[in-house]
Parts: sequence; C-alpha cells; structure tokens
Amino acid sequence: MRLAIETHDLCKRFGESQAVKDLSLAVLPNRITAFLGMNGAGKSTTIRMLLGMIRPSNGGGQVLGHNIADPAQSIEIRRNTAYVSEDKRLYNYMTVEQVIRFTSGFFPQWRADLAATLLRRYELPPARRVSRLSKGMRTKLALLLAIARRPKLLILDEPSEGLDPHSVEDLLETLVSESAEGTTVFFSSHQIEEVERISDQVCVLHRGSLVMDTSVDELRESWRQVDIVLPVSPHPGDFELTGVKRIRARGQQLSVVVNGNVEGVVDRARESHAKAIEVTPLCLREIFLQTTKE
Amino acid sequence: MLWYKAWLETRTRFLIALGGMTALCAWRVFELNREAPSWATLSYHYFVLRSAHELLNMMWLIAVTLLMMGGLLQEKAAGSISFTLSFPESRRRLMSVRIAASLLEAAVLLIVPCAAMYGVACLTSPAHSLTQVLFYLLFLASGGVVFVGTALLASSLVEGTYTAPTVGAGILLLCGNAPKSLAFINPMDFMNLRNHVDATNLVIGPLPWGHVTAYLAIASTLIWTSIRLVETRDL
Repeated sequence: MRLAIETHDLCKRFGESQAVKDLSLAVLPNRITAFLGMNGAGKSTTIRMLLGMIRPSNGGGQVLGHNIADPAQSIEIRRNTAYVSEDKRLYNYMTVEQVIRFTSGFFPQWRADLAATLLRRYELPPARRVSRLSKGMRTKLALLLAIARRPKLLILDEPSEGLDPHSVEDLLETLVSESAEGTTVFFSSHQIEEVERISDQVCVLHRGSLVMDTSVDELRESWRQVDIVLPVSPHPGDFELTGVKRIRARGQQLSVVVNGNVEGVVDRARESHAKAIEVTPLCLREIFLQTTKE
Repeated sequence: MLWYKAWLETRTRFLIALGGMTALCAWRVFELNREAPSWATLSYHYFVLRSAHELLNMMWLIAVTLLMMGGLLQEKAAGSISFTLSFPESRRRLMSVRIAASLLEAAVLLIVPCAAMYGVACLTSPAHSLTQVLFYLLFLASGGVVFVGTALLASSLVEGTYTAPTVGAGILLLCGNAPKSLAFINPMDFMNLRNHVDATNLVIGPLPWGHVTAYLAIASTLIWTSIRLVETRDL
C-alpha cells in the first residue's frame, strides 16, 4: 500500500536552530492521523516542507507518491492536497464569493454543490470582504475552500482554533465523513480530546523529533498508570523497567506510568510486597504530557 | 485565475492612479493652453511635451512603485502566503502573472493620460504631431521599465507592505538627484529626454536604440533576478 505521506530523516535548520530533526514519518492513506506537539515542536515546519513551501536541509520525503523536494512534483502534490494553515489568512481584498470563485478555478474536480451547502451551513455572507470576517468565519471559509476542492489529502494546521463548540462538532463530523469517503486527513491540534475522538493514528513531535507514532487503539491498550502502595518507602530505581516512562514516589505510594510492560511493573510490585496495586488506563492527554515532558 | 487575483489585488491602486493621472495631465494641458502667451497659441511640443510630460513621468514613476507593492514576500508579511502557495502553481508562474499584470497596468497608466493630454491639446489648439508623442512615450517606457524592475526586485528582497515602495522611492530620489555627468546612463534623465530634444522640445537625431536596448536588458535582468530569488527562497 502506498503511503500518503512518507519522510526519511527529514531535517530543517534555520541558522543555528534545528526545527526538524531526522523525522521519519509514515502516514497511511484513508485514515485520520493527528500530528501533535507543543508550540515550536516543528509541526508547521514539517507541513510546509511537505507542501514545498520550504526546502528540507537534509533527508527527503514523498506525498501521494511525489517527491517533496522537486518543484514540479510539488505542484502535483498541491493539486491533490488541500491545506488549511494555522492562521487561516486569506486575501483581505476579496469577498467571500470572490475567494471561492478564485479557488474553484484551480481545481477541475471542485464540488460546487458542497461549497454552496457549506456556505449556507457556515452562514458565510458571500458579499462580505474577507478582511471583515471574524476569525471563526475565516476558519470556516478556509475549511470550505479546502474540502470543496475534493482533495486526496487534507492537511489541517489547528483547524478548530477560533471555532465555537457547535462548529467544532461540525468540523469533526466533516473530517470523519471525508475520511470515510477516502480522503486522508493529517491534522495538528492542541485540542487533545478532539484528536482522541476522531483519530486513527497519532504522531507526536517533540523538539523536532518524532517521539511517538502509533494507533489510538494501541495507545489505549498499552499505556497504563500503576498506583502502588508499599509497606515501606519505595526506592524508585527498583521500578525502572522496560516501558516505564515515569515514576513518582510520595511516602509509601508509588505512581508508575508504563507503556506496554504493565505485567512487569505489577510483578515487581508484588515482589516488593505491595499492599495495594491499581492499574488504570491513560487518556491521550496524559500520554501526550508524559511523552513531551522536559 | 491568477490574472483575476492580480486584478483584484491592484485594481483600487490602479484605478485611483489612472483617474488621478488622467485628470491631472488633462488639466495641466488645459491650464498651459490658458496661460500660454498669445504669440504661442499652445505649441504642443514646446509647452505640453516639456511641462506636462515631466508631470506624467513623475506621477507614473510613483504609481508603478506603488503598483509593484504586493507579491509573495508581502503576502508572507500579511499572512496569506500559505494560502497562495497551496495552489498547484509554480512560483515562477505566480510571479510571471503578477509581473505581466503590473506591466500591463503600467502601460495603461502611460497611454491613457498621454492620450488625454493629446486629446485636450487637439481640442484647444491646432493639430499636433502624433509621432512626437509616440517618441516621448518610447523614451518614458524604456527608461521606466528599469524602475519597474527595481521596484519588483525590492519587493522580492524585503518583506513588509511598505518597505519595498520605500526602497523604490529611495532609488527614485537617488536617480532624480544624480550628478549631471551621469545623465547618459541615468534612466530618469532618459525618460525626460535630457539629451535628445532641441530647443523647441522636438525629438532630434536618430532614436537611441542602444539606450533602449540597454534599459530593456537591465529591466529583464532585474525581473529575472527577482523571479529566481523568490523561486529559491524559503517562504
């Protein structure tokens, strides 16, 4: 199966600063992949490299089978990819109607019916200038322009930012239905609850490096917090086992966050004559905080 | 569609410039005719071409400098560059359409006010030589493309909406105040026909095709450099 996005040791340096470091990413087609990371982790830089806006310092990659470093192939990437940037800035001198007409001209597969439906649903005034739209309305317009072009790949950078809760729900439903129709969705977001609800795959970037690339189901199954009460004050070093991500000790209590090796931690707790052992699943938010903690 | 964008982006500036320049140039000729001494019942060459042509030159240079505002670097400053670069078009084509649209608008800004000047002059006094007007236009256009190229290069080098026109205006000032000894290479002097008219402001001698070719070559180089800069730059 051809990957929708594939990068190999992708690097980007801006002077002395290394924005993206040896990033090897594999995004499966027809799925929703979340691209998470703290501010400045390198998400937007990666996306801009994928779309040919900036050139990689090292490494390379392919989007929909086209080389990201080749300007001619980059045009083919953009022909089949819709991108909504983080700031959702459009042309202030155009009206809503004009920017829709302008965008539709580049895409023969443009869905005029869907654009009209979304225009009504999002309550966007066609005659209003983009400069006079609120941030939420601008976001909706950017989403309309992205979705109506019938892309094979939808790349969204913080798509729900600036939207009210109803619009966020609407957006999430749209993304799920687009994915069901065969569009690959690759999006970054700081709203982890939303990510957890709709994503199939999660990639986490930290300081330019990929620190996690796994399915949401796998995350739910393998990450656990084990709370242990011991008869004496524990020595945290005893629990530094494979898969253990964090150990926190308080008095006779020990809290261990583990990925995959729950049995190993529980066995060690039993060996230490634990008075109580409680294993609880972790939500994506907690897992994200663990993986990106300094 | 890129033409549509270029038009929507520049039409306000362009229409204001066109209206203002046409009105001012026409008014200037009308005023010159009114103020002309009775013995000179408006000599088109002597009065119109000298005085109104210099006015047109000055306004045209300011207008094209303002028209060249915009482009990908200014879009970067305004935040809309990600949207522009998400379209399946090469940067070369994005730039080419913008340059072509600007050149077309610059040509209209040259021809329409000039035609207005000629029209008013014809209405207010006897017939005049159209060939001389065309010569003046040739000088203005071939010297002017250097400033178009300079303004484009400035907008491809510096970000910020008003930085590029400020740089362009600085270059205009420099050329306007260049020493007389440099008049033979100064495009502004060439536009004002400093060395190519007689005492009655008639274009004399063979047309300076060498200068015209040189200025076109300089402008082409500036435009090519601008395109290459934008093509290879991280945006």
